[in-house]
Amino acid sequence: MADDLLGDRSRTSFEYCIIGSGAGGGSAAHVLTAAGHSVLVLEAGPNPFPGLDDPAPLQPPLHSNDELKYAVRGWIAQDPFLEPRTFRSDPTANASLEKDVNVLPQAVGGAFQHADCKTPRFNAVDFALKSSMEALLARPENAGLTVPGFGADAASANFADWPFGYDDLEPFYVEAEQVYGVQGLAGDNVYESRRSRPYPMPPGVPMYIAELLKEGAVRTTLPGVGALHPHTYPAAITSRYYGAAPSERPPCVDCGLCSGFGCPNNAKGSPAVTTLRRALLTGRCQLRYNAHATKLLNDGHHVIGVQYVDATGEVHVAVADRYILAASPIESARLCLNSPPPGGGVLGNSSDHVGQNLMFHFQTNVNGFMAQRVHGQRGRAVTHGFSDFRGVEPGGQAIRVLTDGAGNKVVAMGGICEFSASQGLPISEDGNTYALSPLAAIVKARFGQKLKNALRDLPLGNHLLGLTMQAEDAPQSTNRVELDSRYMDVFGQPVPRITYANHAYEKNARRFYIPYLKQVVANTGATHVFVTPVNPLLVGPPSSRHVMGTLRMGDDAMRSVVNPTGRFWDVDNLYACDGSVFPTSSGHNPTLTIFAVALKIAHGLAGTPPGIV
Amino acid sequence: MPKLKLPRVARTAEPLPPELRRLADEPPSFTVLLGRREFLKAAGVLAAALAVPFTGVRRAYARARGGFFTRPERATLEALVDRVIPPDRDPGARALGVAVYIERLLTAFDGAGTPPIFAGGPFSNRNPFPDERRGRRSRRRPPNAFKQFIPLTRLQTLRWRAEIFGSAAVAGAGFNDAALGPWVGLRQIYRDGLAKVDQVAVAMKGRPFARLARGDRDAVLGALDRGLFPADRRRGTTFLDVVIQHTLEGSFAAPEYGGNHRGRGWRLVRIEGDNQPLGYSIFSTDKNDYNERPTNPMSTPNPDELRHGQLRPHPISADGLSIEDAILTLTGPFENT
Repeated sequence: MADDLLGDRSRTSFEYCIIGSGAGGGSAAHVLTAAGHSVLVLEAGPNPFPGLDDPAPLQPPLHSNDELKYAVRGWIAQDPFLEPRTFRSDPTANASLEKDVNVLPQAVGGAFQHADCKTPRFNAVDFALKSSMEALLARPENAGLTVPGFGADAASANFADWPFGYDDLEPFYVEAEQVYGVQGLAGDNVYESRRSRPYPMPPGVPMYIAELLKEGAVRTTLPGVGALHPHTYPAAITSRYYGAAPSERPPCVDCGLCSGFGCPNNAKGSPAVTTLRRALLTGRCQLRYNAHATKLLNDGHHVIGVQYVDATGEVHVAVADRYILAASPIESARLCLNSPPPGGGVLGNSSDHVGQNLMFHFQTNVNGFMAQRVHGQRGRAVTHGFSDFRGVEPGGQAIRVLTDGAGNKVVAMGGICEFSASQGLPISEDGNTYALSPLAAIVKARFGQKLKNALRDLPLGNHLLGLTMQAEDAPQSTNRVELDSRYMDVFGQPVPRITYANHAYEKNARRFYIPYLKQVVANTGATHVFVTPVNPLLVGPPSSRHVMGTLRMGDDAMRSVVNPTGRFWDVDNLYACDGSVFPTSSGHNPTLTIFAVALKIAHGLAGTPPGIV
Repeated sequence: MPKLKLPRVARTAEPLPPELRRLADEPPSFTVLLGRREFLKAAGVLAAALAVPFTGVRRAYARARGGFFTRPERATLEALVDRVIPPDRDPGARALGVAVYIERLLTAFDGAGTPPIFAGGPFSNRNPFPDERRGRRSRRRPPNAFKQFIPLTRLQTLRWRAEIFGSAAVAGAGFNDAALGPWVGLRQIYRDGLAKVDQVAVAMKGRPFARLARGDRDAVLGALDRGLFPADRRRGTTFLDVVIQHTLEGSFAAPEYGGNHRGRGWRLVRIEGDNQPLGYSIFSTDKNDYNERPTNPMSTPNPDELRHGQLRPHPISADGLSIEDAILTLTGPFENT
């Protein structure tokens, strides 16, 4: 048996087995071990955090400022050669192998360590979007107003209210912000919903691109709303010494290689250095890494064990009283699909909803070029943004009715907009775009002096800035994870097939906001303002790293996979506590809400109130 | 910035001249590739002609000195990458160590030590620690952890051995070969690709690539990029795509991987490279807030583009501007539809 272990090395029987050590699994391990329960965590990837279970002060990890290691060779990314995925946008077409269908890190601490750790909350209205929209459309003054996916078009999408409201989740948002260490400024974002506690840390140093885009934003007007409201972007990144020994983390130094990179000085609130470390130090947690779960052994209503392959290639079965899926939505759903009950079929699928309602967020990028160098490589990738295009009223309690150019009433649920730039990545961004993308055919800069001159200027790396809108995508039953048995992963399992196409709900919102997104970038002083992905490329795998849905949580066993406590309706000892349980995706980065939902589910299991630990 | 997804355009490359078209889809065998007249012409170039039978012996010598490439292959490769990023007032790919970088990748599993695939962390010794009290740089520097490569897991070993040797040569790596065909290893890609470069150079200009004048090399490279290398079925890339990708990697990856000699690649593109543990914002416990670095500010313009407080950007080159123009050309027609 492989010796890739952290935490309590001797324990062999466990109350809980958690599959995945990321945002959901780390949060759950922390709450359950703090409440006295024994927990086994299975993590498919390697451990970038040597000494994570050592009670001496937290050591620096193996992470580094290294473009080749992360952006090119994918040190901790799920590898598309070892674990391929297929994709199609047309549910009637054949899927094809794609190198990057939502490739996320697979390592102790999960995908959040690779993110730039932006952590806005969802709005209050997001938890009751369906009923709020229906009520809004029923008002007499809104007669004639239509929203794709609602009203007469309701069957084209699968909108649902969450089984709990914002006020129910708010204490867990507070706990998540405290335990992961979030910087931000209360009141800075007029659209943020009620918060009962201020942010644990103030915002750090602003980026130059943010100072520029703030100017562009306040000079841009949304009709009927007025000038836009740029705000500091909440992020689970330290701006002060944070936490208590032995888990104290130093302030972020704004090294710049942030989005897509692990943090070399533990400033990012990765689950590894926060919740997992706490769980490991209780002595009640054992974490097996390089341990890839392949099957949930079950009798149809009860999980008996988790079959996994260890670092040496040996197959084992891990046994616990209860099992918690937290492998992120595609892999959590795939485990159910690969775990037929004795009579055949899919585990936990009496609703036929397993794998459905997959959501990624609908990213629209609007960029332009500044004459001066804007050094996006200095900073936390994103320090500011605005929320005016989410489509809600200030306070986030109600959907906003807008007016289009022709004077018609419109509802446009976009998303939070990040002020972004390149992090200075000459291999994977500039070089690849000039020499190896479709651009090369036009500029003839595949090699030679032209390529070198362009690299010396680094138009993307040094001059580009812009906006990324993280718009809500409608849940659809046809957007889903299934198995594609034409191809195998290295463990001999059929690969996931992802079917995903955008709904008019989000395409209409994109069309509505693009002119204003372009105005902001132009008002910043940028030239060559452009939109990506362009419409014809919307049929490919989404560029978003966000992923939600597939194991929907709900009140109705016929229309959801897990109940409001996170337990599978059909399986008495199986739970899900990652982004897979989200009924809708909101228009905000999802991880803080994954933390809060996982904390809520785990506190429910442990019978403890939020914030006790 | 998420990677730019750009629409494809129809390639408008000029067709190959007839004498080269034949080379496009043939296997890289010297006698098949060249007609009798061309062969006689080429036969005068002894080195190139003799390179074929002696390759096996030469590769044994290369292995003995810890390398992969034979001396003629290495010469061809260095000449080739040096036309991808040519020398001018700044170093070209050869001086940046790109060939060293590529050879180190291809021989990653030859030595007894940890394969140099993933450099260690957290810090190189290129930057000092911050002075935490005063919030400025200190004189202390960390040891260079980048030099301690990270041991590979079993699956990482399998994946990177397949990358270098091909899936058919690595036990357990061929799990999709029946459906997709073999994953061709980088060693074979380079072995075949470099041979073909010299064959085309001989056919076009009468000498192996490394012996050609700069202008002739560019002419050969241009021809090579017009369909002479088919895209690999499974990778979807041509030999030149691989060479260009590796030239970028060897020019701009951390120097511990063998290229980017003394960080001169980073200096060429005016980025700072790895900058931990100092970073750009230095926290001062004395003032309980951050200081920025005056020479490398985070929240304000670069000092070299400011004159008396006014922004004075350095002009961008015509080739840099053509990138910006082309992005607009590619994306412009699709907006607002």
